[in-house]
Amino acid sequence: MMWRVISAHALHFRSWDDEFVVYNSLSGDTHLLGAAAAHVLSELQRTPAEAVTLAGSLAPVLQTSFDEELVLETERLLAELDRLALIERSRF
Amino acid sequence: MNISALTLPELGFRLKTAGIFLQTGSFVTHLRTSIASVAEGIGLLYADYPLVEQAGFADFHVSLACPRTLRRWFKPQVLFLFDGRPTFKPLPLDQAFPMLEWGLNWCVSSHANRYLIIHAAVVEKGGHAAILPAPPGSGKSTLCAALVCRGWRLLSDELALVRVSDGRIIPLPRPISLKNESIDIIRHYEPDAVFGRKVSDTMKGTVAHMRAPAESIVQAMETARPAWVIFPRYQAGAATRLEALPRSRAFMRVADNAFNYSLLGVRGFETLAGLIDASLCYDFSYSVLDEAIEKFAALKPPAP
Repeated sequence: MMWRVISAHALHFRSWDDEFVVYNSLSGDTHLLGAAAAHVLSELQRTPAEAVTLAGSLAPVLQTSFDEELVLETERLLAELDRLALIERSRF
Repeated sequence: MNISALTLPELGFRLKTAGIFLQTGSFVTHLRTSIASVAEGIGLLYADYPLVEQAGFADFHVSLACPRTLRRWFKPQVLFLFDGRPTFKPLPLDQAFPMLEWGLNWCVSSHANRYLIIHAAVVEKGGHAAILPAPPGSGKSTLCAALVCRGWRLLSDELALVRVSDGRIIPLPRPISLKNESIDIIRHYEPDAVFGRKVSDTMKGTVAHMRAPAESIVQAMETARPAWVIFPRYQAGAATRLEALPRSRAFMRVADNAFNYSLLGVRGFETLAGLIDASLCYDFSYSVLDEAIEKFAALKPPAP
């Protein structure tokens, strides 16, 4: 399943230390995100992607190995970002 | 001309007839009332504030009046009117002056959207502003009053105004509102401080207002650069502790304490991000005012 950000221009990021604050101008909501969630969002801002691809790019960020567990974690992260209305399913 | 140039009868007459145009920071309020306790409160606590003599423009048109109902004969009440319309439910007449103060805060927090408005006290030293956001009951105003009694400039005890265009902090020095035990704590801490009358049984308990230092009023047009965001918390018996707070966490907490963050949209986000970028952020717990003042005196501004 492919994912994408809700809108290319709706999300505004600021980062301090290892944490990120993201403002969604479509909903007016502000979220505090960890490094993994922020990395996934910024990857999806670049281009739509599947969980497995995102897990591959997350592995070096989290300094962990790419395996099934990481893919599952990434899927959970995507579900959470979807719940926050920051991303949505993409047909392409 | 300042309010102090008028005698109390002159002030009362002006308030009753054409009203006064009172300058507080960058705001002008046109105020009318025939309520004696309000005139007395203004004469005492706003003595050093300028009157705009060439009246015309005012940011806010405000009056306090007694509703003309039968009730006025046995339980008189007061109404706060904005542009001639009642804004809140009436309160007992005895609470007229606190109602004016709450109403003036409402005027700014509901209309001045060229600023990001944070529920916070702001004090300044050496050009660096400390912003103290906190919910009621945290000891914010008590700490703010103690700091201004020990040489910090008062920018506000209630509303931090962050100018959206450049991130500077805009002063709005007005009387400091103290509640319950804090009133006697500050009276004891600074015996020379000037207080208005204590008013009991308000929605906030007993309240009294402390006059802002004259120097802070003179400097009311001098903006300040944000340097610290400090979340104060009074805890009986607590040791004085200043703990660094991650900026991202501080961002979220300041946003929670802002009146118009959502209303300003992306500009609110960018303004708050600028404030956090420019500031060192801390949690601060205290129980002894002298120790708190010492801790603030030792604050180092952020590297330029």
